[in-house]
This record gives sequence, structure tokens and C-alpha cells, in this order.
Amino acid sequence: MAETKEKSLSDEKPKPRVRPIVRLGIFLISHSFHVSVVCCTAGVLALFLLPVLAKNTYISENALMPGSASPMLSNQHVSDGNRLVKDLTNPNSKSSETGIESHKIIAQYMLDLGAEVSFHKFHPQMNQFHPLHFFSSPDSGKIQENYSCSSYGINTVGIIRAPRGDGKEAIVLVTPYNALKSGFGEALSLGIAYSVFSLLTQVTWLAKDIIWLVADSQYGEYAAVAAWLREYQTPKFSSLSAPNAEMCPDVNNLFELKGHSISGSKFSNSFRRAGTMAAALVLKVRDQNEQFEDTISIYAEASNGQMPNLDLINVVNYLAVHRQGLRVNVEKLWSLLNSSWLKSLGEIFESLAKVAKSLYPKWKFGIPATEYVEGTATLASSLYYQALGVPTGPHGAFRDYQVDAITLEISPKFSLDKVWRNDILLRGGRLIEGVIRSVNNLLEKFHQSFFLYLLTSPSKFVSVGVYMIAFALLIAPLPMVAASLYVDANSSSKRSKGDSSTPSAITDTDEHSIAIRSWRWLNSAKLVFIVHLWGAIVSLLPYFISQIPDCSPTTSFMIWVLLSILSLLTLNSVLASPLACAKATQEKEWALVKSVTISSVFIGLGLMSVINFATAEIGALLMVPMCLLAQPLKLDVRAGTLRSFCRMICNLVLGHIAFPPAAFFLLKGMLDGFGNANVGDFWMWVESLWAWNSATYLFIGMVQLPCWVLCISILFHTC
Amino acid sequence: MSSYAGSMYHGSPLLLSLLGPLTVKRIEGQPNHLLYSLVSVIADVVSAMLIRATGQNLRLAYLRSLESLDLVKQIDVSEFLCSGDIAALIYLCNPFTIVACVGLSTSPIENMAVILCLYGACSRLIPLAAFGWVIATHLSLYPAILIIPVIFLLGCGPDSPPRKLFLQRHQQKEVLNQSKLPPGFSWRPIIHFAFWAFLWSVYVLVLCGISLKQFGGLWEMFKSTYGFILTVEDLSPNIGVLWYFFAEVFEFFRNFFLIVFHVNILFMILPLAIRLRHRPCYLAFVYVAICSMLKSYPSVGDSALYLGLLGWFVNELADMQFSLFLFCGYVGVSLLSPVMHNLWIWRGTGNANFYFTTAMVYACLQIVLVVEGVSAMLNHDRKLRILITGKPQDAKS
Repeated sequence: MAETKEKSLSDEKPKPRVRPIVRLGIFLISHSFHVSVVCCTAGVLALFLLPVLAKNTYISENALMPGSASPMLSNQHVSDGNRLVKDLTNPNSKSSETGIESHKIIAQYMLDLGAEVSFHKFHPQMNQFHPLHFFSSPDSGKIQENYSCSSYGINTVGIIRAPRGDGKEAIVLVTPYNALKSGFGEALSLGIAYSVFSLLTQVTWLAKDIIWLVADSQYGEYAAVAAWLREYQTPKFSSLSAPNAEMCPDVNNLFELKGHSISGSKFSNSFRRAGTMAAALVLKVRDQNEQFEDTISIYAEASNGQMPNLDLINVVNYLAVHRQGLRVNVEKLWSLLNSSWLKSLGEIFESLAKVAKSLYPKWKFGIPATEYVEGTATLASSLYYQALGVPTGPHGAFRDYQVDAITLEISPKFSLDKVWRNDILLRGGRLIEGVIRSVNNLLEKFHQSFFLYLLTSPSKFVSVGVYMIAFALLIAPLPMVAASLYVDANSSSKRSKGDSSTPSAITDTDEHSIAIRSWRWLNSAKLVFIVHLWGAIVSLLPYFISQIPDCSPTTSFMIWVLLSILSLLTLNSVLASPLACAKATQEKEWALVKSVTISSVFIGLGLMSVINFATAEIGALLMVPMCLLAQPLKLDVRAGTLRSFCRMICNLVLGHIAFPPAAFFLLKGMLDGFGNANVGDFWMWVESLWAWNSATYLFIGMVQLPCWVLCISILFHTC
Repeated sequence: MSSYAGSMYHGSPLLLSLLGPLTVKRIEGQPNHLLYSLVSVIADVVSAMLIRATGQNLRLAYLRSLESLDLVKQIDVSEFLCSGDIAALIYLCNPFTIVACVGLSTSPIENMAVILCLYGACSRLIPLAAFGWVIATHLSLYPAILIIPVIFLLGCGPDSPPRKLFLQRHQQKEVLNQSKLPPGFSWRPIIHFAFWAFLWSVYVLVLCGISLKQFGGLWEMFKSTYGFILTVEDLSPNIGVLWYFFAEVFEFFRNFFLIVFHVNILFMILPLAIRLRHRPCYLAFVYVAICSMLKSYPSVGDSALYLGLLGWFVNELADMQFSLFLFCGYVGVSLLSPVMHNLWIWRGTGNANFYFTTAMVYACLQIVLVVEGVSAMLNHDRKLRILITGKPQDAKS
């Protein structure tokens, strides 16, 4: 039908036929306003639908076979673990100031099991400014001259060589432990790890080496693990730092004592390695617990929103729920749990699903409202931590070396009786044993399941294919609006020229404007480029500001703001004040500027969605409306209609909200209350971002801030 | 040891003996890649100067032809941009050029040879043109097809509106002033060019033969330079599309598809040569762009070359469509492609398809650039015809 119609149409008019795809493009561009409203609404709606669309997790890798073997951890091992806990909590062991005694105890226990033991000394690294670090592999660490003997940590490492393995692969078990002020929880986590370790020295099925790392967490858990991993993966061949640490009497003391007490054993002074790491588990036990059952929390977010393979979480979840009867938790945004609007939204979705089910019984997509609220809270926290780009635990260090790792935090219902302690040791130990046994079965690296996902509950996830739809819908209007503005600006200039001149002179004026017609946007592109250049400068400024000694966050922030404004003014004046000269030549300049701005925002958001999806999503929620709505205030005032008035209000509100510090304070105020907001907080937050190599920092500096400046310049454009 | 032992080097032996020592030698206290990068920078600057000179040549030729068509009044010549300066600036400021320099690739030198050839042909320095052509072909094989634009350049002179227009113009005025007509095709410079090209290639081959005497001679060189290019042996990812395709293709179809892909370039030569024969420099640009799209191991240096050459035609291409789209596409792809590579190779969360997507988008962008560029150029010719005949004709071509 349609074809014949088209044919008859084309018969009538012998004009060159426009191809359907071009026609579709023209249609979209000419209706860009409606299309963008529909797309943006759909994008936001799709984001809220994600908890409904979440799928149940499943174990994708067949080789894992979790829970197929019955656990071998017996009461014997548990009592071994108990012994270690007792020894560590014994007040005698805390006599030494550096806590070396407890490290010796742990090492002694490991040695008794027949494991290879070594100590790893490290110096905590200072916060460094390397914003592009997320892009490269971690280096072997700068050797700093001014190490003092007082600030070093000692990791105790025990390695079991697998009887069936070839020593090319390993599984890592990490227990953070602060010897100086260890709580009972840390000792208990060591106990669990020890009971598993003692079992693993006896089993015959082990095909991968087991590394047990007792990370000295007095300088932070992450720093210790990161230092050990750096040494493990990128060995230093310079002998500068090693003697430095060895010169310290305490450390030497440690080695000598060891050497004397256990001669001829498997203790070694040098750094010991096993094979490549297949997976890593970080085990923690929380001291206080307000819950009434034993729960286990999983932390998975590594730097820049990278997640471990979903299979690892699946295995832990499956074993914890179905074998050990533990409740599994993932992080939630608690403030969202009691929000009424979310609840009503969930109820709407639920009732919609009911209607749909009554219409066609096979449509079963609804979830109960309470589950929806919980899913949304989990999803929000998943998005938040991924967007922040700061790892949620020591497991983040592993992801930088492409090792899948998660942190398990056991929070037992607290009581001091011995039966309870044995119970938690047994169940925790069996869980760890089961996970290690599953990973031990792996033939290859984790690759079957997802790397890009968001969790809505421990057993539900949203995969990349689903959440990208929401994002794509949100940013789809950008290229369309950019194209329509561009076409508009070009055709309007042509029209005005055609009107002003007599028909005979049309070709003449056409020729006259030959040099600028199709390449007019270059002027706007120059402006956009300059603003982005400024963004890069602003992102680099903290490096110099952080060098200033004794600077409070507030003053640093003030210096930063001042320097930024100064550099913007300088750039603007040096590069021939693009705004002024552009204004002189073209009347619809702002449309072109907006078009190029939107294009650059589109590129930036697309880029960020690949690097760190969550940042891009949150950034898009802020920036897309601002970019799309931006229009010179003067025009709106002149128009004086209700629509333009609404747009003006929206523009002003968005102009305030989308400014990065303003957005930060707003979010902070929403989460913690506005009472204790301080200007320096933003500086501290930014500092934490660049110290953790977060790409979010670059995104804010080089995409969001320039976009905001450009939008503001469009708003105040004099046309 | 033969320079082709293993799979480290697949370039010209002459280039290796010239530049090889530079990569090893180091100045006190400086990093050891300094000397070679200095050579790349010098090569790029020389290329930019040659581009500028050629651009000025082309602009003069264009103005002259407008004058002889009596169109100077209708087209405001003072609005004309200095295409040579613009082209040179584009070439030097292009991030691709800088990246190729930083990456210590040989493409600055290959580009210089190509530009040398075009410059020689434009300013009718036949030995120089022949030298550039021979060296460019020797270094990377693909510039061999530039012989067609070079022949046109030497035969009928640089870019001008179609010859038909001149005839029409003079028929209108009914004075057949032969001196105002552009010269017809002359064979003499082409024979000169052939002679010089033969001489230079014999010279280059003898030099190569001498340097490879102990290691299998010239055959070894052809096998591991041209053979390596034509058989697409190295499938490590690059910004082209062939590596992915040949990693996927079944072994017994491999030869067939090798032929298909290489003939692809050859297929486009003839139609383009017929359609754009009056604009040989533009033809050269189109050929370079097509080669950089379809060659087996493309690099951003190739894009730098054709984007620089594009600057020659700013006046003619003022009406090009999709210019903003193309610009944004190039920016986007050049930012996205390293990120995708990082995601695949380093983080391990992506896979080859992620990176290949950007390679495909890049190829599409190049196609759009070539198609739009050629159609803009044809439109420009059409507009000149309308200006001459005074009435719009139905566009048939």
C-alpha cells in the first residue's frame, strides 16, 4: 500500500526522491521539541523502571558448581581458629608498641600449618594528584626519600602451595587487621580465615595456591592491600626503598627473632609470590551489630564504578543463603527507604502490572511496592558509589589489576557466649571454604557473566543492555536538537539575506557569504573549545594549590575559585574575546553556540558512559535539561508569553542547580541536612576524588563545568 | 642479521638504515627517542611548508581560471581564503599529526613523500615529483595509485573548472581566443615523468639490493613489505576494519576476501578519475582518503595527511554539508576509541566488539567525508556553470 502510494507520488512529481531514512531524519529534526520531551521523560521513567526490569541472578559459569560438595570444615578447625582468636585478644600480645607481637603470633600459626610465610613491609603512599591514572595501569609507585621508620606497616602473608596445581594460579584471602587497636571483630575475622586456612593445608582437591594476606590496616585497609599488590604485580628492581625500611631497628628485630626461633622452616625474608590471582575475598567481621540475625554484607564497587564479575557475587550469595542460612545485604541508601513518593510510585507500578496481568496473563513484570522501594534504594546506592568512583573497600585495589574481588562483611548478632562464637566461625568458615572451592574449580578467568551491571538486591541485577536504554533515551534528544538548531541557524541567515536583497542579487549575496555559510559554526566551535580548554586548566589547578603548605580547605577552595575566574578572563581576552566578535558578525549566534555545546556535551556524556556509567547517568540528569532549555533570557523577556516565562524560570533554576559545587551542596544537604554545610567540604570532596583516581573528577572539570559556563553564557547572550 | 627476521620491522630497508641508528643513539641526559621525534617534527614542518606552497599554487591557478571565465565580478575574489596557509595550519595543528609524531610512527615521513610528489607535480618539477612518487610507493605501496592524479597534473596543469565550461564561455562571446583556453593534454611531461620514475625506482631498488645482499635480496624485501601489506598477516587491532574481518574469516576464504578488499580500492580509481579529471589535486585527496580507509594497517597519520590536503579546497568546499557532524564525529571517535581499547585490553570488562565499533564508525565518517566532499566539489562546478550560462540546468550528474 505504502509503496504504491509513494510511487504515485513520485510519478506526479519528478523531483529527486528523498530516501526514507533522510525523510525520517528530517521529520525528527523538525519535531525535535516534542521528540526531546518524549525522550527525556521516557529516559527518566526508564530509570525508575529499572528495579522492575531487574532480572534474577544466575550462575553463568558451569565450572563453578557452588555447593555441590559438602563442606569439610569441622569443629577441629573451628577450635584452631578459636585458639588464634584467644591468643590475639590476650592482653599480653598487645604489649609491643608497634603491634609486632601479634604479627609474630599470626606468622607462627601459619608456619605451624606448614605454609610459607613472609612479611611485607610498606610505607603508606601519600595522596597524589594523577587524574588520568584510571586510564593507565598502576605504576610501581614512586620512591619517596623521606620515609621515616615510624610510619611503616607490616603485612603478613601466608601461602599454601596447591598439591594438584602447577603454581600458576592463586586465590587470595585478605583479612585487614590493625594490631594496635584491634577490635574483637578483626580477631574473629582472623579466626575464620585461620580455620579455613588450616583446612586448606590438608585438603587434596586444591588446584590453585591460596594466599592469606593479613593486611596491616593502621594506615587504612586499602593502602595496605594496594601496597602489597603493587609489590606483587610490579616488582621494583631498584634497591632504594628496601634498605630504607630494613634500616629501621624494629623490622630487623622482627626478622632476627623469627630466624632464631624457627630455623630451617618455610619462613623467608624475601617477597613471596604465587601465580596470577583468579579471585580475591576480603573478609571482615563487624564489631557492633544492631540486627537480629546473622547478616553478611557484600561490597563490590571498585574504582571508577568497576564491578567484579557477577558470578563471584552470585556464588557468595548462593552459598550464604542456601547453604549457611545467612542473610545477604548489599548497600542501600537508607534515606530512600522511608520516602513516601517512592512508595506510591511502587504502588502505581504494582497496580499497572496487575492491570497488565489481567489483560494478558503471561505479562508478569510487577513486583510488590515494598520490594520496589528496597530495589530502588539499593540501585541508588549502587549508582552513587559507582558514580563516586571511590572503591568501597580494600577489594578495589584488586580490580586495578583485573582481579575480581569483593569484600564480605559479616555482622553477627552479638553475644559473647562461646557457642555463638563457634557457630559464627563455623558458618563463616564454611562460606569461605565453599567460595574458594568454587573458584578453585575455575578453568579460566571469570569471563562468563557480566562486568557491567547494577545491583538492585543481592540476587537481582540490571545488566548493561537494560540500563543503557534509559541512558540512551535521556541523551537521544541532544544530537537531534543540535541538528535542528544548526539547520535553523543556517536557513534563517539565508532567508534574511534573501529577503533583504532583490532576487537578481541573490546569487551574488550567496557568493558573498560563500566563505562562512557552511562553516559558520567554526566560530562557535572556537568558543566551545576555549571553554573546554579552560575546564582542563581548572582541573589542573588543584595540583598546584595542593602544593601550598598549611592551607585549610576553605582557603584552598577560595584560591581555586579565584584562579579559575582569573584564567577564564585571561583566556577570553587573549583569544580575541570570542563572544564579542561573534556577536558582531552573526545574529543567530547563540543558536550555533548552543548547537556546538550540545554536541560537545553529547560526546562527553557518551564517553563518560563508557568509562563510568553511573557518573554519566547522574551527569545527564543534570545537564541534559539545562542544555536543551538554554535560551537567551532577553528573548524570553521580549516574547512575554507564559511558555517563555516558564522556560525562563526553569533556566534560572537549572542554572543554579547544575553548577557543580551547588549540586554537591544540594545533594549533601539532602542526605545529611543543611546545618553543617561548609565551603571547604567541596574542596575535601574533590580532593578525595582525585586522590582515588576517579574519572568523575575529570568529568566534572572538563564536561560539566564547561557545559555550565556555556549555558550561562547563552542565557546572558545579548542578541 | 636480516632486518626482516622475526616480525619486528616491515618497512623499507633504506628507511631503517637512515632512521634506525637514530632510535638507538641518545644525547646526554635526554630520553633516547628524542632524535627520532626530532626527525618526525622536521618532516612534518617540511610537509606543511610544501602544502602551503602547493596551496598557493592552486589558489593562483583557480583565480586565473576564474579570470579567464570572466567570473571575477560575480565572485568576490577578496573573500577568498588563503587555502595554502589554512591547509598548512590544519596539517600542523591537527591532533592526529601530533599523535603520529608522539607515537614515533613512520607516517610523517611517508606523508612527506606523498606531499613532495604532489608539490613537484603542481609546480612542474618533474624529477621531484617522480622522486616523491617512487619513495612514497616504496615506503607504503598505496601511494602508487597517485600516479593518475600526477599524470593529470603534469598533462593538463592544476585544478581548474571543467574544460567544457571554457569552451561554452568562448562560444557565448563568439570569440575563440585560444590563448585564454587552458592548454590541452600534453604527453611530453608524462614521458619525462616516466623516465624519471624509472630512473629513481632503479636507483632505490639498487640501494635496497645492496643493503639486503646477504639477507635474501630484493625478493625478501618485497615479501616482507608489500607482501605483508597485501596479505594482512598482522591482526593486532588498529583503527582500520580489516584486522577484525580477517580475524573472523574462515581460512579457506581468506585469499578470496584479500582480493576483494584490495580490488575495492582499485574499483574506485577509474570512475573517480573520469569524473574528477579536471581537478587532479582533489582527485589525489580523494585517493589518499580512500586508501587510508581501506588500507590494511591504517594509522591516524594517514588521516592527518588527507585532512591537511582538504584545507587546499576551503574555497571550493564552502558549501559542504554535514561539516559540523563530521567534525563532531572525528572528535568523538578519536576520544572514544582509546577508551574502548582501554576497556577491552586493560580493564578486561569490554571485548573486541567495543573497539571495533569505533573503528567502524571511523570508517563510516571517512566515507561520509569523501562522499560529501566529492558532491560538494561537483556542486561547485555546477554552480560555476550556472553562473556562466545564466540558467540553471537540470542536474544530471
